[in-house]
Amino acid sequence: MAARGHVQDPNDRRLRPIYDYLDNGNNKMAIQQADKLLKKHKDLHCAKVLKAIGLQRTGKQDEAFTLAQEVATLEPTDDNSLQALTILYREMHRPELVTKLYEAAVKKVPLSEEYHSHLFMAYARVGEYKKMQQAGMALYKIVPKNPYYFWSVMSLVMQAISAQDEKLAQTMFLPLAERMVEKMVKEEKIEAEAEVQLYFMILERLGKCEEALEVIRGPLGEKLTSELQSRESKCMMLYQRLQRWPEGNALASKLLLKNPDDWQFYSCYFDSLFHLIDQSWTEEGEGFHLAMTFVEDRIKAEDQKETRQLRGPYLGRLELIHRLRERGCPEEAQLGEPWDLMTQYFSQFGDKPCCITDLKLYLPALKGRVFCVSCVAVPLGGESEEEGGSVFPEDTKALQRHLCVCQLSRALGLHHALSPEGKLRVIRDLKAHYHHGLKFGATALKTELQFSDMYCLMAAHVYVDLWKETGEESMAWQGIGLLQEGLSHSPSNAQFKLLLLLLYCHLGAFEPVVDLYSSLDAKHVQHDTIGYLLTRYAEPLGQFAAASQSCNFTLRFFHSNQKDTSEYIIQAYKYGAFEKIPEFIALRSRLNQSLHFAQVRTERMLLDLFLEADIVLSLEESVKSMSLTPEEDDIPWDTLRDNRDLTVLTSWDPRDRSLTEEHRRASMEEECLWLRMRSLTLRLLAALTALGRAHQQQNSLGSENGVGDKASVAARLFSQLEQALQSAACLSEKRSQYPFLGPPSTRLAAALACGSCQCQTSALQLTVHLQELETMGLDESTELQTRICNTFKSLVIQLQEMSNKCNGDLLEMKDSRLKTQPSLLENLVFFLETMSVVLWVASQCAKVIRPLKASLQKKKKKKKDTNTATPAVVCGFQVLTGGLQEVLSQVLEHIKTQELGLTALKLASLTLEPHTQEEESFIRAGMDKVHSSYLRSLQELGDLLKRRAETLKTLKI
Amino acid sequence: MTTLRAFTCSLTVPQYGIPFYLQYLAHWPEYFIVAEAPGGELMGYIMGKAEGSVAREDWHGHVTALSVAPEFRRLGLAAKLMDMLEEISERKGGFFVDLFVRVSNQVAVSMYKQLGYSVYRTVIEYYSASNGDPDEDAYDMRKALSRDTEKRSIIPLPHPVRPEDIE
Repeated sequence: MAARGHVQDPNDRRLRPIYDYLDNGNNKMAIQQADKLLKKHKDLHCAKVLKAIGLQRTGKQDEAFTLAQEVATLEPTDDNSLQALTILYREMHRPELVTKLYEAAVKKVPLSEEYHSHLFMAYARVGEYKKMQQAGMALYKIVPKNPYYFWSVMSLVMQAISAQDEKLAQTMFLPLAERMVEKMVKEEKIEAEAEVQLYFMILERLGKCEEALEVIRGPLGEKLTSELQSRESKCMMLYQRLQRWPEGNALASKLLLKNPDDWQFYSCYFDSLFHLIDQSWTEEGEGFHLAMTFVEDRIKAEDQKETRQLRGPYLGRLELIHRLRERGCPEEAQLGEPWDLMTQYFSQFGDKPCCITDLKLYLPALKGRVFCVSCVAVPLGGESEEEGGSVFPEDTKALQRHLCVCQLSRALGLHHALSPEGKLRVIRDLKAHYHHGLKFGATALKTELQFSDMYCLMAAHVYVDLWKETGEESMAWQGIGLLQEGLSHSPSNAQFKLLLLLLYCHLGAFEPVVDLYSSLDAKHVQHDTIGYLLTRYAEPLGQFAAASQSCNFTLRFFHSNQKDTSEYIIQAYKYGAFEKIPEFIALRSRLNQSLHFAQVRTERMLLDLFLEADIVLSLEESVKSMSLTPEEDDIPWDTLRDNRDLTVLTSWDPRDRSLTEEHRRASMEEECLWLRMRSLTLRLLAALTALGRAHQQQNSLGSENGVGDKASVAARLFSQLEQALQSAACLSEKRSQYPFLGPPSTRLAAALACGSCQCQTSALQLTVHLQELETMGLDESTELQTRICNTFKSLVIQLQEMSNKCNGDLLEMKDSRLKTQPSLLENLVFFLETMSVVLWVASQCAKVIRPLKASLQKKKKKKKDTNTATPAVVCGFQVLTGGLQEVLSQVLEHIKTQELGLTALKLASLTLEPHTQEEESFIRAGMDKVHSSYLRSLQELGDLLKRRAETLKTLKI
Repeated sequence: MTTLRAFTCSLTVPQYGIPFYLQYLAHWPEYFIVAEAPGGELMGYIMGKAEGSVAREDWHGHVTALSVAPEFRRLGLAAKLMDMLEEISERKGGFFVDLFVRVSNQVAVSMYKQLGYSVYRTVIEYYSASNGDPDEDAYDMRKALSRDTEKRSIIPLPHPVRPEDIE
């Protein structure tokens, strides 16, 4: 940030020490130095701004802002002040103020290229495209440099992209941009590649493909040299859009001759050729023959190569068969039997780890064929026989081939078709291969994977199959043990960690997940794409501290994104990377509209309330500190995007067991509904805190005009919550089942089953009732009071039922088997959440009723009314608090019993089924982790509930 | 069999922070190439830049990151991506292409040697380590491009240098 080096200026010399202090993070000294300087030189504005930067960085935002505005109103034109203010405003997240600053500066110094350019960038930072267009032209008029002109053109394109009205984009912005470029073309002033790129972008967006093609193929296109194959790819795209199939086919063929491994052009080649056939350019038989000859020629050329054959031509053949079959063409038979071709493919590329990924695409072609995978084992080659008769691969290539056969078997559903005994045999076999294969990686570094890791993972998959099929929990434990063992040999295997994480969560244990996830070293965008694995389980499994932490990581990532992107949009303008600008903006909205982001925002606030509201701060203060208001909905419901990576866990499952589009859709629907309920709960809680406030204001101000609005907001939110609850009930009836390795279900079904949603909704309805009571008073609201009292009673009953659903042992040892009931833990968390909501509502009830009761007594005194009967709602409230007290004590007692039981449980005395000593130690380690996690969850839950119980004592009217 | 195409932001490459990628995309978009498998899986990517000065004859292409997913190794993909980066640097009239690699990363060092790169100099403690391990040295490896007809740019330096001495 240091000042630029014009040594001549004495002010620069004077300011230098302040810059240095700021650069070194010594903000206090910077402020002192600035004060010193300002005593001598009152008018050295920049010193004031630098002082403001120091203040801002020491947390004195208000002072900093006032000081900065003192300078800003003077409309400074010295470079130092302007730069310093720009930095300050950016740190204050007020980029719009920078635009004001330079608007003033260019007015005073209208011919400054530098200030105009800063003004342009300032507009870019806040996305003021129209003003950017003008600023760009103003710049060009001062200094006729091409980039300035095209900045202005690009800003027109941005106006088109951001226009709500596509017609406006097509009839105004883009045509104007086109004319601006045409002018330069006519005057032969086009200089840079970026300018041609931009011209292309405009024509493409206008749908003027013919014109675009002309540009690309013409002399201007010759400027497109930076990106490899830029002209070819653009031509190909245009041929497709223009349906110019003969040219498209010729180009694809040319490119494939040059690089027979470039997959995208196989698609182009086949697409265009089939279109030619459909449009009778080519006779059908002849066309198919052409395609077949083309592919076979590529294969022949490849066959003749001594080394490193490319996969493209061989896969191209399978692709062609697939496409011919889709069209029902018998000619495909001439290319050969898919089974034979895939076997051939396997024999050529079976030793590559990606062989399965390639072949998986064409497995459906084998459907209906009776076959036995073991016949593929013939070309394995290079095997050695060990004691016990098992045959093991002799080297890593043979291992990879064998592994590929296993992967194919699984992908063809052969594992799934086996009986439980058969599955156990598969596991034994896979484990044997896993252990044998470890010898190939004996010297591997910690960061390298073992060659045989995938056997281990697959065996774990089969354990999961068995667990889900038979309900036999020991299968899950053995799966965990195996993966833990795998991790000990291959500590950086992310797939082991992910599957372990999922298994632990399904068993209700979040504690081990914390370390697993952090060792995954999830970075940046991954907080958005795989963060769901954490947030789905942390809080619901009673690990509140861990939940807070994971929310914080995620939010930090999302918040920094906004600021970062603007800077790079500006850079893209500077370097003429125009094509990237819309991409950057799309990336920004993709992250801002992320479902996960909205979920974490909402859950983070709820979590804060569960942890702190009415314990550390009052609910009202908590709500205020989050700037939460009932009116404001910060979730972009219509544009929410599912950025989750739902296939992050490797799966070789057959197609009918894999994740489908329908699963994705159902999962998103479920997530949105759950989010809606959580967000409505949150906003209703905010509405709840407005209750007491309204009353105070009423008393102090005499009149209150916001009350009616508040009431209607609460009523509206409540009816939305009721609707959501109804949709939730419908949704959970047709409960979607996702693949185990796919998206986790939301908490919705469990929340309904344990009665949490229903009870919270009843409690929140009181928000609406209390508002009515507030306006009616106590003496004329008998009916309302009865309704409120009934709700009070019902709340106690509902909570009692929820408490009953927490009963049972979380972990028990029966007949030397371990049995977990993680749903009990989840129900305890639901109980805690619901109890918190009810207590907040009760506390607000007290706040509303207390003054009403007082004023009623006053009135009675005046009238000398001798009727001393307590109002119904006051009696009802006492019943409520008594009931809550009782239920809370029960649950606390239950938690204590569970803790004692768990502590006393001697897992070591458990006899496991016969395993090697090593295997047994890994399984036991897994059990210990789950055990310890349960204890921790119970402790966190118990602590929180105790603190909630404390708040109950203050609930008196 | 690979689809090679320019990187677009719709893809997620998580190795570095978003700003790091955006900086490269804003400045050197042509130097960012991804490889996709037929099923759409991300196979790998290369990211680089052009820097240096023509006058000093050190205008060159630089490989910032090269990464291939484990599943797609042993297909020659890294070589293909390096080849493309060299081609782009040729077109820009670079004198050479260079890259930094951990001295301990034998697999990578020998791969680059196979691709025609040689160690130009050792940079002492170039990679700062976390969790108490010692910092690690880097090899600065180079390959001359056709513009450097006499291959002057790759004559090895006799002594190692410190990170602050390189640009």
